[in-house]
Parts: sequence; C-alpha cells; structure tokens
Amino acid sequence: MTKDFNIDDISNLASIHLEEKEKLKLQKDLEIVLEHVDALKNIDVKDEKIDIHPLSKVLELREDESTPSLSHEDAMKNSPETKDGHFVVPPSIE
Amino acid sequence: MNKNIPSISKLNNLFLDKELKPSELFEQVYENASFTESILHAHLELFYDEGLENSKKSDERFLKGESLGKLDGIPIAIKDNINVYGYKTTCSSKMLSNYVSPYDATVIGMLKETGSTFTGKTNLDEFAMGSSTENSAYGPTKNPWNPDYVPGGSSGGSAAVVSAGSAVASLGSDTGGSIRQPASFCGVVGFKPTYGTVSRFGLIAFASSLDQIGPITNTVDDARIIFDNIQGYDPKDATSIKPEYTEPKNKKLKIGIIKELMQEGVSKDSQNEVNKVTQLLENSGHEVVETSLPLTEMALSVYYLIAPAECSANLSRFDGVRFGLREPASGSYEMMNKTRAVGFGEEVKKRILLGTYALSAGYFDEYYGRALKVRSKIISDFQKAFDDFDFLISPTTPSPAFKFGEKTENPLEMYLSDLCTIPANLAGLPAISIPTGLSDNNMPLSIQLMGKPCSDYSLLDLAESIEDMVSFNHLPKITKGDNES
Repeated sequence: MTKDFNIDDISNLASIHLEEKEKLKLQKDLEIVLEHVDALKNIDVKDEKIDIHPLSKVLELREDESTPSLSHEDAMKNSPETKDGHFVVPPSIE
Repeated sequence: MNKNIPSISKLNNLFLDKELKPSELFEQVYENASFTESILHAHLELFYDEGLENSKKSDERFLKGESLGKLDGIPIAIKDNINVYGYKTTCSSKMLSNYVSPYDATVIGMLKETGSTFTGKTNLDEFAMGSSTENSAYGPTKNPWNPDYVPGGSSGGSAAVVSAGSAVASLGSDTGGSIRQPASFCGVVGFKPTYGTVSRFGLIAFASSLDQIGPITNTVDDARIIFDNIQGYDPKDATSIKPEYTEPKNKKLKIGIIKELMQEGVSKDSQNEVNKVTQLLENSGHEVVETSLPLTEMALSVYYLIAPAECSANLSRFDGVRFGLREPASGSYEMMNKTRAVGFGEEVKKRILLGTYALSAGYFDEYYGRALKVRSKIISDFQKAFDDFDFLISPTTPSPAFKFGEKTENPLEMYLSDLCTIPANLAGLPAISIPTGLSDNNMPLSIQLMGKPCSDYSLLDLAESIEDMVSFNHLPKITKGDNES
C-alpha cells in the first residue's frame, strides 16, 4: 500500500519545504502509520454510507442576513504585510 | 480533587456568605501560579491585571447582592487554541507566535457573561496534535504529580493548572482524547460533551468532525456547572445542535464494560480501576456486564486517517498571507513553502503530510473514504450497544502517565495512548474521565464513562455518584499549600 508514497510529491502538494534529514524521519514515521491503518482494508464497507456529522445531523446554514462582523481593520491586523487595506504578497507570476 | 481549592459551589457559598472575596481567591490562585509555573510551565501567558480587575468587579456584585451566578468570580484557565479578544492565541506554534485574537470564541463570550475571570492561556501540543505537550513549540508542561512525567495532551497545560491549583477550572479541547487523557494523567476530571452541544466558533480548528470544547475541573459538579454555562446552539458553528438531553429510563442502570479496552495493550493498573468501580456500582444496585464492540480495535486507524485529512485542509489557511508567520522569499509559492517549513513543528508536518496523502487523487477512496465508512460502522456499533446499555465504562488511558521522551521515537507508541478515548470522538459521544486511584509510583489512575448522544447530564450524574463512592482525595506533589514538597 505504501509503495507509491513519495515524500517529495506529498510535501509539494502540502506546500511544506522539507530538509533532507527531515524527509528521512517523516518518511519512516509515515510508513509506520500507513502500515498500521492498512488493517482497515479487511473491513467490509461495501454498503456503508458516509455521514459528515457524527450524529447524522444536517448542517444548518445561517440565515442570509447581514450581521455585525469583524471590521476590515481588525481582519487585517494580524497580516504580516498590508497596504491600503489589502494584503501584500510577494510576486506570484514570474 | 485538589483540597487546596474548594469546589465551585463551595466557593460561591463563601462569596455569598462574605467569607471570601473573588479578588482574594484570584490573588490566591495567582500566588499558586507564581510558585508552580516555574516548575510546571503550564500557562503560556497569565492575565493578572485584567483578571484582578474583573475579580474586583465580582467583589462589588457580591457586596450589592447582584451576583451573576455560580461562576461569578471563579478563575478559569483557557487552552491557547481558543480565542480570547485582545490576547495572543498561539496554539503553541511558532506559526502563530504573534497572533492576537481579534474576537472572542463563543465559549469565551458565554463565560464572560457569567462573571468568571481568566487566569491566562495554557500550553498544549502544537495545534492540539499530541498526547504529552512535548510537541509545544514553547517547551513541554510538567506533570504536577511528578515533573519527570508528562501531563498528557494535548490539553496538558489545562489539566496541570487545575491539578496544581493555579486555576479553579479550565477549558480544553478534545479531538481524540485531548481533555480526558491529560485529566487522567493529572488526577482531575475531564469532560468531553456530545459533539455539537458546545460551540467551536473561535476554537482554532484541528479536525472539524471530531473537535469538541469541554471543561477540566477538580470535581464532577464543577464540570457540570461549566458545561451548563457553555452549552447551547450557536448559529456561528454549522455543526452546532439544539440538544434535547435524555435521562435513563430506570434508576437502576445497566452499564457495559467494553471488552476490547480491557485486554492486552491496556495495563493491569488501568483494568483494575475499572474492576474496582464495577464492584462499587454493583454494590449500589446497578447491573454491570461485559460487552463487545469489535470495531473499537479499528478506531485508532480510522482516527489517524480522518484527523490528519481534516487537519491538512484546516491548516492550509496558514500560508503567511493573512495572519501568522511569514518567511521572506522572492515569490509567493516559495514564501508559503518556507513559512510552513519554519512555522510548523515535526508532528504537525507529519499529520499534514499524512492527510494530504490520504486525500490525494487515487488514494481518496482507499484511505479517507474507507476510514469514513468504517467510522459509520463504529457509530452503528455504539448505537446498538446503547439499545442494551445506559452507559459504557472503560479505562481512560491504557496506562498511567509516562516519562518525557518515552514515546517520542515511534509515532504509534504515542498514538496508542489515545486508544480508549478516540472511539467517543468518532461517534460524537459524551465521555468523562474521573480519577479513581494511584499507581504504585503514585501517579493518578482513572476510569472513563461514555453515554449516548445528549446524555451529558445523566452521564455527569453517574460520574458524580462514582466520585462520591471512590473519594479520590490525593494531592499532587507540585502544589502550593500545606502539602507542597
């Protein structure tokens, strides 16, 4: 089951840069966990349904009404860099 | 319970009878913290000034006969993954070392309405991922019973402060046992309510189909009082429910011992506590019989696919743009990669990678989809069990607290310490851990009770009757008072 596990592909998908030493440790740990969860393959789940809420409740959305919320200023306060009420990020198109 | 700190009801009576002022209690608790924190490192931040100011407002209310209720003037500690307006919420991560909460979590707003004061924010495993607080980016918390031992986790700080008397009670969060396991290791009460009964709005999400906020306290009645004040429907949390609490049909209860949690892998110490309590329950006229939930053995595997999958989605928000750490880089993608590399610790990275893999194209059905289906089967098994039984009993943990470094080499070793607590999260059940005895090396032992969804109050009633029968009155080593060592 774990033969296709490629730590480089997964760290790329997860947007986490890993050092070589870290890769070795994480690969080893993840293989231990994946081997353990392999036991689930032996459970017959053919007719089983999936519930998102453990109590099978339908998730309720709020009414579509405007209510007081965070101010624009408060929402921006924790950003590493802002300008004129916008988040500033490094260039994303080369 | 910690005999240096009376129960919430007793404290309330002392306030009402003018024998103690809330500000005097706050000062006493702060003095305890001043002594214990240098050893335990359980609080990440103390809110002395605001806490004292609020407790003085409580003084005035009691003086005028205008008390807001049982929690008025009670000092409560808050796990540092719950937002308190104007204070840092770090989740014990470098990623959020400078994050200041711009709003109150719903539970915090509700506690503020009760007049309770906050002692500060408590340590945890980074983003609540762990069972020992060894994953905190700010260093581990020590166990008040013996600082060579872990306090459990992830709410290790919240359990240690109650055990050591540097708060009367605390809030924790429980995704796979993170309230009950540390409560068990620290000899206090830990209650995970029914999923959806307590709002998670303002709790930094780890695994949304499992996360639940609940109290850690000295007594079961304290847990009931806090639960009573934080439960209820919240439109800001889409998973919130409008609970209709249930009572057992008969006074004479039928309680099932979960066979799969009383076998190899669970220490004799832990099993003996269940047997001891079983005897007491039978002496009180209740019926206790063994029952089998075979899929319980699969719960750990299910959990370690579902929780990482949900965490990989929830933690994708930490990208260095809107909040938290940002590492300098010439492009956005490089900035995110570097920020997440530096900001997250090893365990968090491990779980994000595991979850990313379980959700990736070609593996979704094999891992995440299959885990969700086995979870449904586990839920069905519990539903069937509750057709026959009012409550279920098991050890809270497979063994008492372990030493630092004992389970850090192999991830499964650490994950197995949540063996008995994970099933209640998967099925959304209310569950409580209560201390019942001490091991040969004087570390606390406990039992866990589980009930059907929305049986929270009757579960607390049963736990309280066991608490009375057991009379656990031991004190930890590290505490301020006559018994300090």
